[in-house]
Amino acid sequence: MGTATGIIRALNSGIKHLAIKRFTLRYPEEKLKFVGDGYQFDPSTGVGIAGLKGRHLLFHDHCTGCQLCSIACEGVAEAIAMVKVPEEHKHNKKAIMPQIDYGKCVFCGLCVDACPFYALYMTNDYELSSFSKEGLIYTPAQLQVKPYVQQDSEIKITDRGASHG
Amino acid sequence: MTTELPTTSEIQIDKPSLNWLPPGLGLQKVDERIMTLNVGPQHPGSGHMRLIVQIDGDYIIACDPDPGYVHRGEEKMAEYRNYILNIPHLERPVIHDSCNVLYPYVLGVEELLGIEVPERAKYVRVIASELNRCIYIMYWLAIYGIFLGHSTMFMWPAGDRELLIDLMEKMTGARVTHAHFVPGGVRNDLPPNFEEVCLRQVNYFEKRIKEYAAVFYDNPILISRTQDTGVLSRQDAIRLGTTGSVLRASGVDYDLRKKEPYDVYDELDIHTNVMKEGDAYARSKIPWLDMMESCNIIRQALQKMPKSGSVRVKLKPNPKGKVFDSVYKRVESGRGSLGYYIVSDAKPEPYRLKMSVPSFRNLIALPYLLKGEKLGNMPSVYWSLNYWPVEADR
Repeated sequence: MGTATGIIRALNSGIKHLAIKRFTLRYPEEKLKFVGDGYQFDPSTGVGIAGLKGRHLLFHDHCTGCQLCSIACEGVAEAIAMVKVPEEHKHNKKAIMPQIDYGKCVFCGLCVDACPFYALYMTNDYELSSFSKEGLIYTPAQLQVKPYVQQDSEIKITDRGASHG
Repeated sequence: MTTELPTTSEIQIDKPSLNWLPPGLGLQKVDERIMTLNVGPQHPGSGHMRLIVQIDGDYIIACDPDPGYVHRGEEKMAEYRNYILNIPHLERPVIHDSCNVLYPYVLGVEELLGIEVPERAKYVRVIASELNRCIYIMYWLAIYGIFLGHSTMFMWPAGDRELLIDLMEKMTGARVTHAHFVPGGVRNDLPPNFEEVCLRQVNYFEKRIKEYAAVFYDNPILISRTQDTGVLSRQDAIRLGTTGSVLRASGVDYDLRKKEPYDVYDELDIHTNVMKEGDAYARSKIPWLDMMESCNIIRQALQKMPKSGSVRVKLKPNPKGKVFDSVYKRVESGRGSLGYYIVSDAKPEPYRLKMSVPSFRNLIALPYLLKGEKLGNMPSVYWSLNYWPVEADR
């Protein structure tokens, strides 16, 4: 194959792509769809349930303050600290619950694997940016709130190529 | 391309030379004609590494790679964490290939602790590691394209990689650092309907990468820049201890998935891609052919995988190994053979952990390949070695 033919073939291959669909995800307007409600773990079988590893969700009525999540995080990111909760909100004897610093968290989900009481799960919430470092520290009260996550676009494959649509 | 270099002894220079050199940089005074050039350590490509190159005009006469700028102490860190908590930090050296970089560790710990892995988990691991291999190679290919000034080849792999990242996100819950493999299986089962989505996206991905031939691999401009540059002969490739795509591009048929099958690779039909040329073009083409082979393996694994069953063995908390039991396990990663030597103690932490990484072994060939090349060919030869600085420094 000659040099000119090769260059024309390369250009032609690029020009063909004018006709195929745009693959780019227009992020703030459209957001990706995930499977499930986030990563969860079933301690009775020892197997997790597939889902995005995003911001945590803490069930206050299940948490016993056993600190296993905090111990698991010590070797990974040291993001989880056990804090005192006010007496009127207390759900366990020790009145301590995890507080997570998302400036340090690496979203490995080993704290969820460590929890034997179905108290700590992960959610699909991944938009955690904040203007201050303090804003990244989520108290037990904030972790209790179930997030609303907009999910509308999925990868679709047609004859005209793949697109988020 | 080797060219006759002018002999420096013929040139008479009367000027007094500069005697002062900045200390601590490892620079040495050479002939007036020869210039020492620092490439890096601020990102010569991806990751921090310095190449000390001595050039005579446009020709490289010597090259001294200086890795070590991103040393993280992974091996020492592993001695203070138990077998499970080692997982997140051991996949950090190559975040784009995080399943493969963790694979030998998990295999080794399973042998040390005597864990039997369920059949379905083995197939899930094979699928995850093959998807990850493709993700790594696509990233590598994108950087190779931009190294040669081919911006289309940067955009296309970076975009098509998203198809597989989406699959990994559905499978493991994370886009890049998955922390998916654990001793005893994988952390979660596949989501419902995954096989169908995986097959569709992998088929489309394979169709897309075949289009790269016209725009990149058959492109006369790429061929003129990479063919016959940085030729590594078959003997030299073996003698220098290179692995992976570098070794296979020099005509050695060596793939650990075939030679030392781990998990269920022995039940799958694997074809090894070998090229005889040993130049930068062959080294850049072998990973691309490997991606098509990976797509084949994924399709086979999806077909043969048991449709139901457990994916993880429940372990005791803080499992302990035997006293001074050791194991060496290696797998074929996106760059070559990657091994872990693990010594256990009667403690939940390993006594010693040693990583034997392909990047460092491929880097050894670089000074030999660059001798006599033009400086402009340096990026194409350097990045064709499939080198990842963070992995080499560990």
